[in-house]
Amino acid sequence: MVKNIIKDGLYSNNAIFKQMLGLCPTLAVTTSAVNALGMGLATTAVLTGSNLVISLIARYIPKNVRIPAYIVIIACFVTIIDQMMKANFYSLHKVLGIFIPLIVVNCIVLGRAEAFASKNTPLYSLIDGLSVGIGFTIALFILGSFREIIGAGTFFNISVMLSSYNPLLIAVMPPGAFLFLGFLFAGKQFIDSRIKGEK
Amino acid sequence: MNSFFKSVFTITIITVSAGIMLALSYSFTKDKIAYQERQEILNAFKSILPYHNNEPDKDYEIINNQKVFVAKDNGTITGYAVNIINTQGYGGAISILTGTDSKGAVYGIAIIYHSETPGLGDKITNKSFLDLFQGFTVNDKIAVKKDGGTIEQFSGATISPRAVAAGVKDSLTVINGMIGK
Repeated sequence: MVKNIIKDGLYSNNAIFKQMLGLCPTLAVTTSAVNALGMGLATTAVLTGSNLVISLIARYIPKNVRIPAYIVIIACFVTIIDQMMKANFYSLHKVLGIFIPLIVVNCIVLGRAEAFASKNTPLYSLIDGLSVGIGFTIALFILGSFREIIGAGTFFNISVMLSSYNPLLIAVMPPGAFLFLGFLFAGKQFIDSRIKGEK
Repeated sequence: MNSFFKSVFTITIITVSAGIMLALSYSFTKDKIAYQERQEILNAFKSILPYHNNEPDKDYEIINNQKVFVAKDNGTITGYAVNIINTQGYGGAISILTGTDSKGAVYGIAIIYHSETPGLGDKITNKSFLDLFQGFTVNDKIAVKKDGGTIEQFSGATISPRAVAAGVKDSLTVINGMIGK
């Protein structure tokens, strides 16, 4: 069970590559590896916390008010994370800006609350939140790294390309997000079809 | 009716506990956040003003409805700074902090925030661009080359540098009003 939860979250049911949830922050903040990592980890923290709390109290919440109840819990976690980031990682918080509060409406978080945490034990929900969050972080990080290296010639703000390299600006602009995400989807499909073919 | 009250009761409990959690987290982080925000302003002043050992964000006078921050070294005025928000940027408002020496010549410029196009207009935050303004006074023509000035615009982006130039020009006018007083 635990192994399946982890595998689902990280790869086979990855929030971005398979479920295609939460694409708004994915497209918007992956202009660099640091931003992608920061956003991914913030979402992971929210997801883990909200999954745990919701699985603990889900059976006491009447069915007709469960969505507002979940949203209040998620919003509470997001605001706490927002304040902590502002206090400890001020410059990263400034870059991510509005996208941190917007984690509240990230459908991955509500999706996991409704589809998993409300029906499973706290321990499983905690593991599920962590693995889905890390899967999301990895997807964001890959996209952010590609966009930063190709669009700015840097990786974690360190120059990695030859000085003659002329950055392909479109990679860090909004259209680049769509293009690169498309390439990543294609790459994932290719790997999956190879794995299937071998079996 | 019973289930109605149960719903209301549950939501009330959840929102009240969420409120308590938020109050706690706010009281734990608010000092640190205020400190970070202030530190950012002080660092910006350090980078655009000549040496000073006062706190310019607390030491200001109001000229034409604009705060003129005064930098002092042991009480001797070493420079002035003005924060102007120019709304003529390509992506909206650009907040420009201009620092001068005690005679009103530009010492340093910092862009506090902007929403210019990444890779094109956002080059206004480059040091090499901001350094072009050094030494300008209110009597100089501060404009991009396209408008007959000396500031180099970037290929594909004239509007952003033009907005910065206008902002610096306005700041110098305000600072000049302060010096002339």
